[in-house]
Amino acid sequence: MSKGLNRFAILVACATFFLIIAGALVTSNDAGLATPDWPTSNGLLFPPMVGNLFYEHGHRMIATTVGLLTIGLAIYIRVKEKRYWIWRLGMLALALVIVQGLLGALTVKMMLPLGVSAAHATLAQLFFCTTVSIAVFTSRSWIEARTLPDETGSPLRYMCTFALAIIFVQLILGATLRHSAKWDQHLPVQMVVAHIIGAFGVTIALGGTAFSVLRRHKGEAFLTRPATIALVLLVVQLFLGVAAYLTRIGSPNDPQPLHPMIGITVAHVACGALVFATTIVLTLRTYRVLPASEAAMKMAARPQES
Amino acid sequence: MNKQTKVWLVLAITLSLLALGSACGGGTKPDTNANGGAGTDAGAAPYNGPTGSIAGVISFEGAPPAPKKIDTSADAACGKANPNLSTDDTIVTDGKLANVFVYIKDGTVDAGKKIGEYAWSTPTTAVQLDQKGCHYSPHVLGVQTNQKISITNSDQTQHNIHPSPKNNPEWNQTQANGAPPIEKSFARAETLIPVKCNQHPWMKAYIGVLKTPFFDVSETNGAYEIKGVPPGKYTVIAWREGGADGQTKQMDVTVTANAAGKADFAFGSAQTTVNTSLKVMPALELPMMHK
Repeated sequence: MSKGLNRFAILVACATFFLIIAGALVTSNDAGLATPDWPTSNGLLFPPMVGNLFYEHGHRMIATTVGLLTIGLAIYIRVKEKRYWIWRLGMLALALVIVQGLLGALTVKMMLPLGVSAAHATLAQLFFCTTVSIAVFTSRSWIEARTLPDETGSPLRYMCTFALAIIFVQLILGATLRHSAKWDQHLPVQMVVAHIIGAFGVTIALGGTAFSVLRRHKGEAFLTRPATIALVLLVVQLFLGVAAYLTRIGSPNDPQPLHPMIGITVAHVACGALVFATTIVLTLRTYRVLPASEAAMKMAARPQES
Repeated sequence: MNKQTKVWLVLAITLSLLALGSACGGGTKPDTNANGGAGTDAGAAPYNGPTGSIAGVISFEGAPPAPKKIDTSADAACGKANPNLSTDDTIVTDGKLANVFVYIKDGTVDAGKKIGEYAWSTPTTAVQLDQKGCHYSPHVLGVQTNQKISITNSDQTQHNIHPSPKNNPEWNQTQANGAPPIEKSFARAETLIPVKCNQHPWMKAYIGVLKTPFFDVSETNGAYEIKGVPPGKYTVIAWREGGADGQTKQMDVTVTANAAGKADFAFGSAQTTVNTSLKVMPALELPMMHK
């Protein structure tokens, strides 16, 4: 296990989280088209960062940094890791960040079509979770973890996976909602209702999963810590969602995008990313330490690498 | 899998399907507003007969909303050019409303033909749109189809002009201080095309594009006049910004030769604020932030 690799993976994940915040600031400030060209901004690599160009070009600069960090991570994994499947994960992260950059270009060139913008926002979350996964797999706690005695392991694995899927659907709904109307336009009612229903789904799925983990594996910090964090983040996210809605519906009456609408909507996006990431951590860890069902174990023809 | 787990899963699946189903529900298509004024048939002859005009005054009833102060901290040049920069969406002077776009939507000339059946030549002079003091000037303008709009930047900062038409190709272009004028035109009639600056999101303008020359924009005293109108009966629309697609009033006007048909319009204060309540179901309204 390489401590340096793990720390670098954590750095990339943190930088990606920062990039998600930068991207959310672009959307909330309506800065997506502050410059019509890509990858330069108004023909320059370093334009004057005034007005909304500060957010748009700033986002591109942070994205470039994350792209370079991801290249570094893929190389670092190749050099230090013996587990071939983690190297493939590193290459997947690299592919995702390249596609994400191209989506960013496409959304500017096509003047922010809803599908491309929503895909760009959704892929950002997927890429973030890939970097978080690499950080998990390269951590000491993952490598040193041992299987826990738990006859109900399989249901918890399913519950975690299902919660993850529900959260991902909710992220897609949220991204689509955010990009379906500018700050000076009303949000489409159907999308708002869908996102609220999705919030109920996430609350039930993730809440039920986290409580099940806390009840069945008291004292096992490897599982209870991400479960607790996920629950706390879920509660915060629900409050942020209500606040984001209340501030956002008033924004058509404002002369320009203003705080607190900007801050709260950005916080809602960021917290959503953290909920997704924490659930990924919990899910991976349940697969790591909880036994599979008998049928699954019989199907596994060869020993699994940790 | 125990019973409790099954209950959680079924509930979560049901809610997720509900969410996806409501998101996939057919939404209403945006109103493309094909009423971009009377059209012109190919091969039509020009009108050469007597003309009159349509004139009137646009009033504002009730107390007008106060202009809102704009935060220019993101671009010091805007604050320097215009220290008291505020919104210009509702300009009311002595009860009269400026920046209302008034135009002939349709009508029949006394000779029996529709007004759109005549050929109306496109003016060769360009209409000016300037970016000054980090506002568009004028705020509302009208052009004919294919008539040039000459866009200039008089500010010490960069602007970005982005019209969002529904019937015409969309474009987005940056214009530095001192850059040559940008010349554009719109091929299809459309009322009205919103224009914004992606650098300075408070900057807005509206462009009415018509095939005929029968439009005008009210001045600060609320007065407007549409000249050169053939005698006949017309539907006249007064448009002002607000809401998703603007607010409109309609009036039927009769024009006689060498005389002005009168068409006064009034807009009220109740129509200037965007309704922020969400109607989830017909009988249930959730009052949120009303400003």
